[in-house]
Amino acid sequence: MLRKKRLFTILIGIIILVVFIGYSLGNRSNLTTGEQFVSDIIGMVQNVISTPVKYVTNIFDNIDDIRNTYDENQLLREKLAQYKGLIYEVQEIKEENTELREIIDKADSIRSYNPIHATVTARSPERWIEQVTINKGSIAGVKENMAVITAAGMVGKIQSVSQLTSTVQLLSGFDEFNRISATISRKEGNDIFGLIEEYDKKTNSLLFKIIEESDKDLEEGELVVSSGMGGVFPAGLPIGTVKEVIPDDYGLTKTALVEPAANMYEINNVIVVDRVLTGEEEEEE
Amino acid sequence: MRHIFLPLILLLLVALEGVALDILPSSLIDGDMMITPHWVLMFLVLIAIFYDRNNSYHSIIYAAIFGLLIDISYTGILGVYMFTYTVVIYIIRELRNILHSNIYSTLLFGIISIMIAELIINLIYYVVGIIDLIWMDYLMERLLPSILANFIFLLILYPLFAKRLEKWKNSKAK
Repeated sequence: MLRKKRLFTILIGIIILVVFIGYSLGNRSNLTTGEQFVSDIIGMVQNVISTPVKYVTNIFDNIDDIRNTYDENQLLREKLAQYKGLIYEVQEIKEENTELREIIDKADSIRSYNPIHATVTARSPERWIEQVTINKGSIAGVKENMAVITAAGMVGKIQSVSQLTSTVQLLSGFDEFNRISATISRKEGNDIFGLIEEYDKKTNSLLFKIIEESDKDLEEGELVVSSGMGGVFPAGLPIGTVKEVIPDDYGLTKTALVEPAANMYEINNVIVVDRVLTGEEEEEE
Repeated sequence: MRHIFLPLILLLLVALEGVALDILPSSLIDGDMMITPHWVLMFLVLIAIFYDRNNSYHSIIYAAIFGLLIDISYTGILGVYMFTYTVVIYIIRELRNILHSNIYSTLLFGIISIMIAELIINLIYYVVGIIDLIWMDYLMERLLPSILANFIFLLILYPLFAKRLEKWKNSKAK
């Protein structure tokens, strides 16, 4: 009798497991109310906890940083001198750009976005799932699929949103379902276009598949930015630098290994990018 | 009043797991090693050994509830941790009568529970297709560091809660 009961319980457990997994892996766009409620409550506790923990870990990080400060300072000084000329140039170009925009009566571009500042409160302890939680949710205007950046570059996109918190899928957890249309900017219209397809765990880099028509001679160290053609992310967000170029299986196209510009492990403050111009995709829905 | 402590501590541990990786130096996380905190599971093991009576099922119910909370807030794939923690705690609860409950047996049960939990979790993720792993690499890079890290956590947790849980268990009877 007891054995039968036990077998019965185990079977029910497995059935529940399969149903739950099937439900959560299916194509669902929104969290259920229960899930939102739970994430909000845990998010609140995390908010309280993460502040002192971050404070303490920051102290240790700072001590680490101070040791490298002198060398870094030398290097930065040199770079700063180079940038001065560049800043002037950029300013001129910006002014000219706004002027020209006014002339043709086009205020918004796929470049412009509204930033939503947020703080990372938790990181998923399950290491297969590269996901962090931030302390801004739908009340602050965060929506699904928005890009998330740090000062260094793109770190991921919003995966799910509840009222007060949202979860960010990091670039290092991207699979073939999360493509970013990206570009390498070149002079004279020879821009290279392609898609960032997935994150390769073995080489710790993103795979940038270049479409055929583009120029194929990439160089190492070239900056890959988002192109804004995917309809969700604005243009011009830095993603990473080219590390290596390899031909694909058929030798027709080339794939570049792109090293993400932002550090995926030390993320504290992020900006959620709310694109001003919404893409066609959203309107269709 | 007493029985509200356990869920509160467990909820706190769920939230703490999210910042657990920040505490470790990033050089440790950056590399190939993957340390997964299973603090909730460790506390559940303590509950199973010291708090539960032979006819009460607190630890198993808590395992299901807080496993589900971890699923919701950290992975988005429901049911994996819920199922795993419940099964593991059930096994520990069956095993606990074999050995006397002292620190050595607790640590042994802790190690067993992490091993079973990690294996089930990874097996499920493997079957579902979230990860594809090489079992040898997995053993060295993930299982061993995780066992070690959680072992240390259990070592800290034991003196804090072992006696207290037994006291709560006895006061519950009155």
